[in-house]
Amino acid sequence: MAQPTLDTFQVIADPSRRKMLKLLSKNSLTINNLADNFDMSRPAVSKHVKILHTAGFISIQDIGRERYCILKQDGFNELQEFISYFDKFWVSKLKKLETLLNNKLDNKNN
Amino acid sequence: MHSINHTFTFSHPPEAVWQFLTDPDLMAQWLMKNDFKPIVGHAFQFKTNPIPSLNIDGIMHCTVLEIVPFKKLSYTWKAGPGNGKIELDTLVVWTLRPIANGTELHLEHSGFRDPENHDIYKGMMNGWLTNLQKMANYINTTQHGTTHA
Repeated sequence: MAQPTLDTFQVIADPSRRKMLKLLSKNSLTINNLADNFDMSRPAVSKHVKILHTAGFISIQDIGRERYCILKQDGFNELQEFISYFDKFWVSKLKKLETLLNNKLDNKNN
Repeated sequence: MHSINHTFTFSHPPEAVWQFLTDPDLMAQWLMKNDFKPIVGHAFQFKTNPIPSLNIDGIMHCTVLEIVPFKKLSYTWKAGPGNGKIELDTLVVWTLRPIANGTELHLEHSGFRDPENHDIYKGMMNGWLTNLQKMANYINTTQHGTTHA
């Protein structure tokens, strides 16, 4: 089925497609999983998915019997990298704090 | 809004934990070198090694927003590649709660950019400039000689 070629802004101007990108920025989803988040027909969801795919925002991969939509956008990955970096950063720092505080307690008791 | 949340419990009273959150020398021992002062509005820096993967020069630019002794401390947390450019504009909030055997410390690091905000445009423009150029070339080629309005 022929799809009109949309430019980047036309692709993301649509609120449903923005919401799809947002959902996919957190997780890769099957088209069915994706459709569960929208109050629209399955063919309508598929049409949006196709537009996102054609524009190169997502890739579609067959994994097992399911078709997964996977985000292909560097900007989103960057966000995940920041969060994952600082998440690990804080865990390691807080563990260090715990050790320091425990040593302090030991010194007091000795 | 994306945020990081961690809760740790320590077998020490809030006063002891508070010291480690607000004394620059003690902070340096577990967190980073800094010139923190427990004064609302005080601008300070944490310094660590550059983090090339995040395009951060290793300096966290912070401003103290709130101090409630032994209970709550918050500061902004900004960083970037240098020259005053900020890529990361976030907020750190520490909350202390006394519990039976010590203190429950909660950290919320929030404000990580939400893709639905303006950055969606910025990110896509950066990441997709090449694709746009390709698309433009393609359209120019295929429409050459025809007039699709």
